[in-house]
Amino acid sequence: MSRAGSSVNVDPRLRKPTTVMRLWDWSLPPHGVHREVLSAVPDGWADEPRATRTPPLLFIHGLAHGAWCFAENWLPAAAAKGFPAYALSLRGHGGSGGSRQRRRTLMRHYVHDVMQTITELPQPPVLVGHSMGAIIAQLVADRYSPRALVLLTPAPLQGAGATMLELARRKPMAAATVVAGGTLPMQAPQLFTGLDDATADHYVSRLVPESPWVQYELLRRRRIGPVRAPVMVAGTKADRLVRVADIERTAAAYGVDPVWLTRADGQPLGHDVMLDTGWDRALDSVLEFVSANTMSRG
Amino acid sequence: MTIAPDAWAVIGAGPHGISALKALLERGIPAHGFERDTDLGGNWNYHAENSRVYESTHLISTKPFTQFPDFPMPDSYPDYPSHWQVHEYFTTYAEHFGLLDHLSLSTEVVRCEPVGPDASDGWDVTVLDRTSGTESTHRFAGVVVANGHNWWPKIPNYPGQESFTGEIRHSAQYKGADVLRGKRVLVVGAGNTGCDIAVESAQNARSTLHSTRRGYYYNPKYAFGRPSDQTADLLLAMRLPLALRRIMFKTTLRLTVGDFTKFGLPKPDHEFFETHPIINQQLVYYVGHGDIIPKPDIERFEGDTVYFTDGSSAEVDLVVFATGYLAHFPFLDDSWLNPDGDHPVLARQIFTPAFDSLVVSGLIQPDSGQWTIAHWQGVLIAAYAEAMRDDPRAARAFYDQMMDQIQVRFTGGADYKESTRHYYEIAHQEYLRALEADLSRLEGVPA
Ligand SMILES: Cc1cc2nc3c(=O)[nH]c(=O)nc-3n(C[C@H](O)[C@H](O)[C@H](O)COP(=O)(O)OP(=O)(O)OC[C@H]3O[C@@H](n4cnc5c(N)ncnc54)[C@H](O)[C@@H]3O)c2cc1C
Ligand SMILES: NC(=O)c1ccc[n+]([C@@H]2O[C@H](COP(=O)([O-])OP(=O)(O)OC[C@H]3O[C@@H](n4cnc5c(N)ncnc54)[C@H](OP(=O)(O)O)[C@@H]3O)[C@@H](O)[C@H]2O)c1
Repeated sequence: MSRAGSSVNVDPRLRKPTTVMRLWDWSLPPHGVHREVLSAVPDGWADEPRATRTPPLLFIHGLAHGAWCFAENWLPAAAAKGFPAYALSLRGHGGSGGSRQRRRTLMRHYVHDVMQTITELPQPPVLVGHSMGAIIAQLVADRYSPRALVLLTPAPLQGAGATMLELARRKPMAAATVVAGGTLPMQAPQLFTGLDDATADHYVSRLVPESPWVQYELLRRRRIGPVRAPVMVAGTKADRLVRVADIERTAAAYGVDPVWLTRADGQPLGHDVMLDTGWDRALDSVLEFVSANTMSRG
Repeated sequence: MTIAPDAWAVIGAGPHGISALKALLERGIPAHGFERDTDLGGNWNYHAENSRVYESTHLISTKPFTQFPDFPMPDSYPDYPSHWQVHEYFTTYAEHFGLLDHLSLSTEVVRCEPVGPDASDGWDVTVLDRTSGTESTHRFAGVVVANGHNWWPKIPNYPGQESFTGEIRHSAQYKGADVLRGKRVLVVGAGNTGCDIAVESAQNARSTLHSTRRGYYYNPKYAFGRPSDQTADLLLAMRLPLALRRIMFKTTLRLTVGDFTKFGLPKPDHEFFETHPIINQQLVYYVGHGDIIPKPDIERFEGDTVYFTDGSSAEVDLVVFATGYLAHFPFLDDSWLNPDGDHPVLARQIFTPAFDSLVVSGLIQPDSGQWTIAHWQGVLIAAYAEAMRDDPRAARAFYDQMMDQIQVRFTGGADYKESTRHYYEIAHQEYLRALEADLSRLEGVPA
């Protein structure tokens, strides 16, 4: 397991020391709910020597999505390339339980769900978080050292305040909905740039309501503790939910350069990089990063 | 066994050993663990010679604080898991983090020798392979002692004890209720072990006397539908002062259990939080049924009869001394951890003035679950070992600072009762706040 490595160089304004005191975890622990975990694992992987085999990937979805968004393309494609791939549905999403408590769900419940999933994996995974899932991945990485950390079109670490103001200017009704505790309305053009309408609408129809508290929590600025895992921050220049400047800031927080995801013709993907046309090249970027940063050390 | 140069040795693979081993490896510090038993898990490895859990043991502390913070217990476990589940949990942890490649089982550390002045050239650690019976010596950069302190029995000595005609057994040799069946039993001591055994005796023996040298607060596992330790953590999280927390706990006890003395139990001779907490919901119940008869301290033994300090006496078949355990480090020179011969005095319960590369994990008796603390002790040790390797001046400065604070105790403001079992008692939140500040200093990230 030894993982010699200097800690990533982090923007000091977004740094905090290691958090030891987790008073609410100790006194008011989240309860467990049924959890959906979808997976695709290459044949024979489990029998390979633990120290040298490809680490598992654990995908964490964003707002209103579910494990299905990774199962659609990425899980089987990653497994075909030799990567064991897992995706969980956070409570209240996909096939997991807890939707009746949605209005009482906090980010820390999602962190709990991810931690439970991690302990069922045979070794530390690479955490791949998308959008809000990237915030969850970072909160998880603040207490658990993953093999690597991949943040895809990450919700802003600095807080989504600026995004909300922009939304209020362009789509005042959408912003009002969020403030009132409704789910951020997401339509096909915000998520995809290359899909045909029928496919795009089908995906949008699978979105579910999000917890209002979790949406509010996204407004909060977060500081990151010492991170030792290799970090990849990837976005797209056509993202209509996460601003390019915010992606750059998140990358700077970890002292890395952002990776911009495009299709073969150079066109940027939409926010949902695992579903939009060009998802295969986006996945390849992730897998290349994982290979380059984890293989030699097992 | 291949051991990297400059590796740290970890002695013992109970929860403190495995979490220290993991923390070191996670930081890229080579490390190797030694465990004398055939399996890891320490106290929770039921069949091991040094395990002090008995058949019926469940945790007295609930999952949230007891578990390792980076490896929660499964949602499917109950609030208070059994010792079987705990052992399964440690096994899963070790497999997940790949510790088994860095751990020699059935291998007992028999000697640790410093090399060079102040161990500046490291440590020669001699181990006994218990399968083959052969000894070998390995050089390490530093040593983490995690051999546990709840296994070496503390046996009292009362007048006439040697000539007592009944059976005497320490709780260290108690694994289940079968030894109690049909006997007239006297249980001595009201730590959590004594209370558990008294309850099992009430359920199985012919009669049960329970001798304690003071009165205690018997706390329920649940009050108002919530686990007691989580409520305690909530009150601490709210930063309620000690005096107020005392009132709240005592009021809760009054409202739920009532006045202990009405059951015939002695009145506590101390304030709440001044003795290591007892968590036992059943003892008072059996006292109320007459199945446990409270007794004061023993005065003397005579034949098959035990005389108590209140002048009463009783014929007894079996005495179980549940009088606790003492720290014991047979593989170290006594003077290193324990310079004045009474008990180890360590900075943060970790660092000794004798050597800067000899550290201890697990010499704590928290008023809470333990493995969140095991985790952070391991992380602090690993951060320190990393500094020793990469930035010796920073490590030295940190060590000197620790030595300046060697007298600092983390009591949460309580004045613990004089007893060997309170040597390592700590108030868990206060202690962890100190470790958090230490880590921030070592890692160079100001709060
Ligand atoms: C009956 C009982 C119930 C408890 N219940 C709780 C509870 O509910 N919650 C809680 O948090 N804590 C509880 N505890 C406290 C418990 O002791 C700790 O949780 C924990 O087991 C301490 O871990 P450790 O690693 O320090 O020591 P141990 O678990 O004792 O492990 C030490 C290990 O070191 C090995 N070892 C010793 N000497 C050598 C040597 N020379 N060479 C190689 N290996 C060696 C031993 O074989 C053992 O495996 C309980 C303790 C007892 C006795
Ligand atoms: N999970 C569980 O269910 C569980 C079960 C058992 C134990 N544990 C834990 O294991 C650890 C050890 O517990 P333990 O109960 O074995 O030991 P302990 O806490 O040390 O308790 C020993 C008891 O014996 C008494 N005693 C000590 N020396 C004596 C003497 N010379 N004469 C008369 N009485 C004497 C003590 O009295 P004083 O009050 O005077 O000190 C105390 O009541 C603790 O951390 C405990 O919480 C947990």
